[in-house]
Amino acid sequence: MASNVTIIGRATRVRGRLTGAADLDVQGFVEGEIAVSGDVTIDATGMVGAGVQGRKLVVRGAVKGDLVGEEAVLLEEGARVVGDVRAPRVAIAPGALVRGYVQTGQARAPRAQATTSAAKPAATRVPAPAAARGAATAPAAVRVASASGTAATTAPGKAQGAGAARRPPPPIVPALKKAKGQIAKRKER
Amino acid sequence: MASTVIGAGITIEGEITTDEDVVVAGTVRGKLSAKEAISIEHGATVEADVVGGSLVVAGTLTGNVTATERVDLQPGARVVGNVKAARVTIADGAQFKGNVDMDV
Amino acid sequence: MAQPRTTTRGLEPREAHEARIGSGAHVRGRIRGEGSLVIEGHVEGDLAIRGDLTIAEGASVKSEAVEAHAVTIAGALDGDVVATGPVRLAPGAQVSGNLRGSAVAIDDGARFAGRLDCDFDLPPELGGASRAPQGEARARVAARR
Repeated sequence: MASNVTIIGRATRVRGRLTGAADLDVQGFVEGEIAVSGDVTIDATGMVGAGVQGRKLVVRGAVKGDLVGEEAVLLEEGARVVGDVRAPRVAIAPGALVRGYVQTGQARAPRAQATTSAAKPAATRVPAPAAARGAATAPAAVRVASASGTAATTAPGKAQGAGAARRPPPPIVPALKKAKGQIAKRKER
Repeated sequence: MASTVIGAGITIEGEITTDEDVVVAGTVRGKLSAKEAISIEHGATVEADVVGGSLVVAGTLTGNVTATERVDLQPGARVVGNVKAARVTIADGAQFKGNVDMDV
Repeated sequence: MAQPRTTTRGLEPREAHEARIGSGAHVRGRIRGEGSLVIEGHVEGDLAIRGDLTIAEGASVKSEAVEAHAVTIAGALDGDVVATGPVRLAPGAQVSGNLRGSAVAIDDGARFAGRLDCDFDLPPELGGASRAPQGEARARVAARR
């Protein structure tokens, strides 16, 4: 039997919630919230009128709602999203259109207004191994900063996603740290 | 071949409307309405009124059924609800409780 | 090549083509220009240029707003981007701020926190045009239930 894939066909409209442990392929119209533990693909013909939660979200269609991926959110050409996007890994291809707040799992502490929303999603999610792959490209300072303040529930060694949202404003770029030091000195004068 | 497949791990609470075939292997609560064939697989749970072209049930269905063509209850099916269709078959081993109306 | 510490106010690149802030430079102040600019060093201050802006890997910019045509970021930016052309975050980018441009692309691996505001309409089934600020806020409230 095929792996647990649910297909909402192109001529299908679902007015209600969609939950469960399965992968989902939306080619039609889902008016309610989607919250599954598997991967969700919104095809070019797919439309979702509420939030989508899953492990890896790939969007080529239209979504009016927040996209929250435990592992990643990939917006491909043709995607049209009005809503927030949160995942350890977020990629937005040229041609994908977004209107909303976007946060990747390892973003440095954002400005004051965003900090509260940053802490929220990471607290409940266990970051997937893919988060560690994203960390590999980061300068060493990031790993040092995010290793502290990690929630006990997250997988050991893979805590980048949750840790990043919790840690105090870090100097991510070593050069920036130096610059900040110099700026601080200047301010003292 | 179905165009909409509600997989085994999925629960849909609400209304499903489609012009295509539907295969339900998961759980649907609410309403299900398709122009073509609907198949409720073994292991599926449907608590909804179902409207379709034709319906084959091998799983559990609680709700009223209206089909323009036919309704077939297969062995293992458990259906509670009224069935209205031009043709109805209830296989040996299917459990059924409800009214049958073949006057469409 | 560049002095380790350079404080410059109102830097204005005169050439029509590329200007460059080298990797050793620290600039504090506003930058205005007609041409394009490549930043490899560290800038604190607003930028407004007509041409394209590149923030290279290892570079950092801290600003209230960065205005340019096309913007490519491979380094660090703490500030908003207002671009008339496309905005692109390369895999090593670390950006905290809001992005606005004709198109926005974020490569896999980039770190980002901020708003994206592309100009487009959802299909009519999802409410169609919600470009007006209040329409957008209403749409988001509705989407969040």
